Amino acid sequence: MTAQIPYDHEVELNSVLERCLAAARETGIPARGELPEDYVGALGHFPVYFPEEIAHAGRLLPVNILGGGNRLEMKHADARMGSFVCSICRSTTELGLNGSLEGLAGFVTHPICDAAKHLAGIWARNLPEQLSQILYLPQNPNTPGAARYIAAEYQRLRAEIERKAGRPIDDEALRASIRIYNRNRRLLRELYAIRRDEPWKVSCTESYLLTRARTRMPCEEHNALLARALDAIRSRKLPAQDKPRVVFVGGFCEQPPLEMLEAIDDACYVVDDDLLVGLRWLTADVPETGDPIWALAESYVERSDASPVQHDEHKTKEGYLMDMIRRSRADGAILTAAKFCEPGLDEQLAWSKHLDGERFPYLVLEFEEKMTSFEQMAMQVETFAESLLFALA
Amino acid sequence: MITAGIDMGSRTVKVVFLEELKVDGAPQLKWGVKGKHIMFPEDLDADQAAEKAFNEALQASGIAREQVRRVVATGAGRKQVKFAHEDVTEVSAGAKGTVFMCPSARTVIDVGAEEGRGIKTDADGKVVDFAGNEKCAAGAGAFAESMSRALQLSLKEFGEASLRSDKTIPMNAQCTVFAESEVVSLIHSSTPKEDIAKAVLDAVASRVTAMARRVGIEGEVALIGGMVHNVGFVQSLKTALGVDNMLLPDMPEYVSALGAALIATEGKA
Repeated sequence: MTAQIPYDHEVELNSVLERCLAAARETGIPARGELPEDYVGALGHFPVYFPEEIAHAGRLLPVNILGGGNRLEMKHADARMGSFVCSICRSTTELGLNGSLEGLAGFVTHPICDAAKHLAGIWARNLPEQLSQILYLPQNPNTPGAARYIAAEYQRLRAEIERKAGRPIDDEALRASIRIYNRNRRLLRELYAIRRDEPWKVSCTESYLLTRARTRMPCEEHNALLARALDAIRSRKLPAQDKPRVVFVGGFCEQPPLEMLEAIDDACYVVDDDLLVGLRWLTADVPETGDPIWALAESYVERSDASPVQHDEHKTKEGYLMDMIRRSRADGAILTAAKFCEPGLDEQLAWSKHLDGERFPYLVLEFEEKMTSFEQMAMQVETFAESLLFALA
Repeated sequence: MITAGIDMGSRTVKVVFLEELKVDGAPQLKWGVKGKHIMFPEDLDADQAAEKAFNEALQASGIAREQVRRVVATGAGRKQVKFAHEDVTEVSAGAKGTVFMCPSARTVIDVGAEEGRGIKTDADGKVVDFAGNEKCAAGAGAFAESMSRALQLSLKEFGEASLRSDKTIPMNAQCTVFAESEVVSLIHSSTPKEDIAKAVLDAVASRVTAMARRVGIEGEVALIGGMVHNVGFVQSLKTALGVDNMLLPDMPEYVSALGAALIATEGKA
């Protein structure tokens, strides 16, 4: 007879988070042998949003390429790109050129900005064996034909993936993938609900790592991981601390260093954010019956989040930030942008002006992948938190 | 009741004790400085330096340790002060201390050894906005200090020399290392020391002014931090800001420690 080991939620959560941290530090792609049996390869995609269900149904693991972080040595990309290009585009190029992404079936990018759009050209010239595609999602989804247009783009992508994977993607497989991703979306919404309601139970860094893990593993596996983590988080008995509630925006494409998120966690409760918003882009379940491509396209228009790379008149720059603030009952906002990120810096200016008018406290920060010193930033965040606490006292 | 603020700066440790003043009929509690102390630590770990400075300060002020009800630490090494009840950043402490010393101040410029910053504050000494030098000491006192060494002048002589110059020599480098190269070039071209001193202090003032403009200059401007003692810098800063008057608190290097002690009286840190 074996003794039963009592369930320890902290041990359980730590084991999940360690796995997520390892996945976040991984810049290469899973080796063929590491993929589940029925997968035929991996398909890279650039932020912000990518309809992963299509790749998943074609048994290609969707791998979100999020740059190289602060440990990557730049040897090739600097010779091909100007120093004024953002870190994520430069380090993604480096990963492509240094062989880290060898074995990808393809790489799909989006016209979210000039630099990201032209990554596809760099890919096609330097990695001709890989499928290189630009997925043209509409910057303005308000026109009557937007959903039809997106559906046509998704069909085009589906055909390209079918050719590359060497197998058809039928509607039933797509609907099955949608079901799996709907479960993932529900779990992520639960995670963010805990962040809003009991932020002391899970930090922004932990939540970020849990979300990011999906970029390196099959969605089914991520669902199981998230379910384990959510059970453990709910069981946590941590006391609420005297920290202000803030929202964090500016992490929609290039990812801030983990140390930056940790510095913010030390001083504030981040009750909502736009980190990896592309993985949480669809805000409600996608219909699981009917034409699956139409269901995905229509969801993009009707049930989606907002980011600086989209110009949707129903989601104004100021409007979606204020909605996030109201929804999460935040006391302040941390407005960040990646260095040289044109859409991000443009939005930061609009947000700052609006919050000035609203007399709502905010802090502006800038980040880049290669940041190594966080002392000054930590001091800024701490001062901001103190000013919020003094104002609330 | 006595509270203490301890400012663990990058070069010095400053301690200020505040004592509650009994004023009959006063609408609220008043506080006065009971004692202050500065220590220049050598070969000491930050936590040891804090302990030593605090004990020296107690002794110098004739206060028993148990009389101090609450200690709040600030400054770059604030987390190392193990005996502090709480810690606050030097920005919050600087604003609080400045408004206590100069109630009309709404813009605070703090230039210490390694950091320079502009702070916008309200009437209660709460931070409204702030900006600081992020990576380089070119907007701070250490830069002026190293340039004074290059010119073989004491810091006092360096500041006074700059006042004798009416030249404006631009220094374009945004980094201490490159700026030093510019100074060496000026020395080699036989530029008078007072002109070089003014060029250096103008450059520091220009960077600090840029930070202050980022937060918006409102109301009266107060300067705190060790650079207040540099008369040449004060003049350069006035010129850069375009102001005739600048509030200069009596004990500029202690203002952040004072602010921390004030926050200790509120017990909100």
